[in-house]
Amino acid sequence: MVSSDRIFRVVLLVLRVALGAVFVYAAWTKLRQPWQLFAMSIDAYRVLPYWAVVAVARTLPWAELAIGLALMAGRWLPVASTAASLLMMMFLAMMMRAYAAGMNINCGCFGLGDIISARTLARDGGLLVGYLFLTWTSLSARRKAA
Amino acid sequence: MKLFVLALTALLPCLAASADADPGKSLGSPSAPIQIEVFSDFECPACKGLHEQILPQVMKDYVIPGKVYLVSREYPLQMHAYSREAACYATAAARFGKYELVADTLFKTQVAWAASGKVWDTVASVLTPADAKKVQLLAKDPAIVSEVQHEVDLGKAAAINQTPTMIVTRGANRFPVAGAVNYNLLRSLLDGLLR
Repeated sequence: MVSSDRIFRVVLLVLRVALGAVFVYAAWTKLRQPWQLFAMSIDAYRVLPYWAVVAVARTLPWAELAIGLALMAGRWLPVASTAASLLMMMFLAMMMRAYAAGMNINCGCFGLGDIISARTLARDGGLLVGYLFLTWTSLSARRKAA
Repeated sequence: MKLFVLALTALLPCLAASADADPGKSLGSPSAPIQIEVFSDFECPACKGLHEQILPQVMKDYVIPGKVYLVSREYPLQMHAYSREAACYATAAARFGKYELVADTLFKTQVAWAASGKVWDTVASVLTPADAKKVQLLAKDPAIVSEVQHEVDLGKAAAINQTPTMIVTRGANRFPVAGAVNYNLLRSLLDGLLR
């Protein structure tokens, strides 16, 4: 009979790889297009000055790629999962602000054509829960090891 | 004969790139390296902003120098009561070379006619009586109505879900640019594609 501990570890593995793949996919949708298109999605939120929009557009996809690959490979888990959680919290906060203001804009999460809606908020909210769970398990594991 | 075939072969890619473009609603050279199709709704405030603030800069920096071929496409949204009517009048006016004049007026007085519903009065105010009569008649012609619907269908096929949306095409690559765009970013995109 398979122990509950083993089942938990398998579920955690699947979750970590899947959530890592989400970040890798998000990075890919942005990196395969001219960076200016992602910059336009960021600019549409009307939060950052122009220079910051350009800086974020040119660096964030690479950060997403690194975080996603780290999660999938199971490397530097406390840092990668915490970074993923913080990024998702920031994305969700921006999306909720735009939605509350009635802004009809692209989420910018996975390329173009993804207007902010209750569905996208629920989707990203669910992802945040997943990343927070990964963060908690990786930090707990580190405490136990220490 | 050989020369004719050669010329036609050279022209074919240009024709294919803008095969659907209404010449009365297009600006610049069809052989420009970049084509921008602007899917727009006359009753949409963000479209008004694009038309009045961004497109004049695109005209000056890219269309006139022959770098961009600008094609206007109607994409009236169902939530706007009078935008399809406005699109039909503008498309009819294009047949007489008056598209830009009518479009400029519709966007300039958008707030007024969107509230009153007096689209025709707005359009007629900038046309000569002779042109007004022709445009009013033609706007109801099935050819015009189906042209507007065809452009809506093109937009739906391109998965356009907001206005304005510009489809920037360079060779085989198509990039949708949605919403009220920052001109510095658009310029950076176009300059990058032209390199």
